[in-house]
Amino acid sequence: MSDHPYGDHVALVLESCPDASEEDVVKAFRQYEEEFFIPPQDAMHSIIRKLQVSASPPATGKAAGAGSGSTRAAKPMRKVERLEELKGDDQNVEITVQLVSHNVREQTVRGEQRTIAFGLLEDQPYDSSTPSTRWEYKDWAPKSELRAGSIVRLEGASVNEYQGRRSINVNKSTRVVVLEEGTAPVVVPGEPMNIADLPKEGNVCVVARILGLRPDVIHRRDGTGSIDVVRGRVADDSGSIGFLSWEPLDLEVGQLVKIDGANVRTFRDTPELNFGRTTTIEAYHDAAFASAEDLEAASAQTIADLRDGARDVRCVVEIHEWQRRTFTRDGEERHLWSGQVADPSGRCRMSAWEELPIAEGDLPVTVRLTGVRVRAWQGVPDITVDNADQIEVLDGPPWEESIDFATHSVEVDFDELAEGGGRVGVSTKGLIVSIRDDSGLIQRCPECRRVLRDGVCQDHGAQDGQEDVRLRLVMQGEASTISVFLGRDAALALLDTDLEGLRAAIAEHGAMAWVQSLRARYLGRSATLRGRLLVDDRSSMFMADALEAIDEDGAMMATEARAHWEVA
Amino acid sequence: MEPSRNIRRQPAWHVFASEFGEATLNEKGPGEYDPSFVITRLGAKINRCLVAGLLERVEARETSSGQTMYQGQLRDPSGLMYFSVGDYDPESARESILGLSRALEEGETMHVMMIAKARWYQTDEGAIYTSLRPEEVVRIDPSRYSAWLARTANATLARLDAHERAQPVVSEGPAAMAEAGIPSHLVPGLSLALPHYDGASVEQYRLHVLQALDIAEGRMDAVRSEPAKLPLHGSNEDGGSAPAEGAGTEDANDVMKQLIATLDQGQGVDYETLIRNMGARGFDAGLADTTLDALFDEGSILEPNFGWYRLVE
Repeated sequence: MSDHPYGDHVALVLESCPDASEEDVVKAFRQYEEEFFIPPQDAMHSIIRKLQVSASPPATGKAAGAGSGSTRAAKPMRKVERLEELKGDDQNVEITVQLVSHNVREQTVRGEQRTIAFGLLEDQPYDSSTPSTRWEYKDWAPKSELRAGSIVRLEGASVNEYQGRRSINVNKSTRVVVLEEGTAPVVVPGEPMNIADLPKEGNVCVVARILGLRPDVIHRRDGTGSIDVVRGRVADDSGSIGFLSWEPLDLEVGQLVKIDGANVRTFRDTPELNFGRTTTIEAYHDAAFASAEDLEAASAQTIADLRDGARDVRCVVEIHEWQRRTFTRDGEERHLWSGQVADPSGRCRMSAWEELPIAEGDLPVTVRLTGVRVRAWQGVPDITVDNADQIEVLDGPPWEESIDFATHSVEVDFDELAEGGGRVGVSTKGLIVSIRDDSGLIQRCPECRRVLRDGVCQDHGAQDGQEDVRLRLVMQGEASTISVFLGRDAALALLDTDLEGLRAAIAEHGAMAWVQSLRARYLGRSATLRGRLLVDDRSSMFMADALEAIDEDGAMMATEARAHWEVA
Repeated sequence: MEPSRNIRRQPAWHVFASEFGEATLNEKGPGEYDPSFVITRLGAKINRCLVAGLLERVEARETSSGQTMYQGQLRDPSGLMYFSVGDYDPESARESILGLSRALEEGETMHVMMIAKARWYQTDEGAIYTSLRPEEVVRIDPSRYSAWLARTANATLARLDAHERAQPVVSEGPAAMAEAGIPSHLVPGLSLALPHYDGASVEQYRLHVLQALDIAEGRMDAVRSEPAKLPLHGSNEDGGSAPAEGAGTEDANDVMKQLIATLDQGQGVDYETLIRNMGARGFDAGLADTTLDALFDEGSILEPNFGWYRLVE
């Protein structure tokens, strides 16, 4: 045999496989090395295996131990570390928590006036490496041991589940063991704080100027009537915050006031001051306090700042798309205007309940918005304009760069994207680590567009589904993962086919083999994706407008790795 | 407030066989659905990983409950990864493994990449083994294999770097580790790994990284090495002839022990490999089988996992 670098390896293989020819063995080593990048020492085992006529060994009887059947006997005390481990009907629970807030309130329970305490608590107070979960709690027989900031062990608490939200009940029989006295700052009544420093929950005092004020009505959920409230916004040098007053207010916009005994509540993602019977609001005199105009100008926001639940928002945006939609409610034809807006920080949706002085031909139009509110749908902000007088059409944008709406996508690092809230118009790069079995052709409910399972919709029963295309992937960055959805257009573009072609491919191989063929093409590869990230309480998902796999050169990547880590 | 996302999918770590195989630490939360992790010497806290290599073996085994379990091994430049797929695993993963097993039987050579869950178990003797439960399995071409090698080498180098930075500060807690420039996703694993492995060698991983980089760059001549020299029974001094008739039990015992010592890459050696290698040295399967039993009875070898043997050290 001509010269080859595999001398000893070949000899060893021939020793194990005396019937093989040296030529074949050398050929095998060469093939492993040239075609599969496997050095001879690593290939040897495979080659021996391949050449040996398989004489299967006698199977012996005994096998590994049976699977560990988990028996779950009801325990008298269920001890847990994390709130998430608790189920809605758990009783007699033992858990160590830190009380984030503690409020005492009079409440009428079955016709009887009672004092109860409520607030927020957090699990895993001693473990700073994992994020704590926060739940609400109620203490039905207020215990003096419970104080904001304390770390306590609750023994014999129970879980209450209402409309899918779980909370902790501290009952009369619950034992409270104080492990650490509260060290959280107790806000001294009457001591004003900066708005920027306000806690997310708790009783506070601020000195601020009223920037907005309007009556509003809250309808009780159970339909037993409505409550008149006042909403508005106050500001100081450090920032501004919305408020909700349950009592009538005799105040004017621009007035400087000291507000004592207000409660901070966080609604959706936005903190808000609540004024009630125990809140005192009095005029305050400070000639050096910033004027209403200055405060208003300072409280303007950009799209990237917008959070779900924000009210009395001021910002300047460019409207790029604007359409009227018509729908019928209570037999009456109504209109809703909506479209897409942008500023240099990003893009979002905007909706209006009144016609705005905007003609489609004029777009893009720059407008200043005052006193608008923000709702988010799956984490993506939607600015809501209730009255036409909340907008003012400007001559042009106050920023210099022009925004090209079609390509206005902000490149975001994958892990940053995964850790943050919903975003529209973003692009990122990650690694495809899963292609889910339910990718491919799906049937949607004609009523609600939900995916049918075995021809049945969760809400609308058996339906003749409408065919659609969907791919479900998981991608990852350095340390986080995001579920990625590709709708029909993005999926067909990625696969470079049309609906007919896709149907034929799936029919030919079967759904499972077809998904497997996708894996064979994409699993473990890098890809760029563009679209929007939707975030809700449970998960986040990326709705991709486009996904493109990247062809990678291993040799180049290896050289880069050497250079980056300075290894020879 | 940030939305709570407690049911997030665990990311897949890029890891070579040697780092994964040498892990002896695990962590499992108290909750029923808490993920479990295998923590490597370099602080990778692995629930799921992305591995690749040459598919060397797939075999079906019956379990005691009458189910079929497919066990196999993947080879990368650092060693072997062991995996098994059972009836409880996703059908698509089982089908893929079956398909690959058929191709292997037909003599094909192939690279396989898998996304897999890390498993960890401890024998009664206290030995700890890691293995993989594949979730998604694909056959890949050499160019994707080399991209995986480069990516995994890069990730391993990042861990080696963090491991080095962490040594002096680990006792001061996570904040000090972040201060020392350790990426946040490596902090939890390193906090556990450093005290547990306490001084265990990690330099071999640097060597494996270099081999992987050489292969990814196509420099095959740089990675060839001499085969491990098995002290072969009946070797050169008697002219390389086949073992004499009636090779004694003594001999069989010694050869078996030598085989196990040489072939064991940390996980033990499987039954079939031993029988074949004994066969190649002139001992028939029956004698090899009784030899294994005898060695086991006299306490020279362990069977830490069914069908896998190790020497008692």
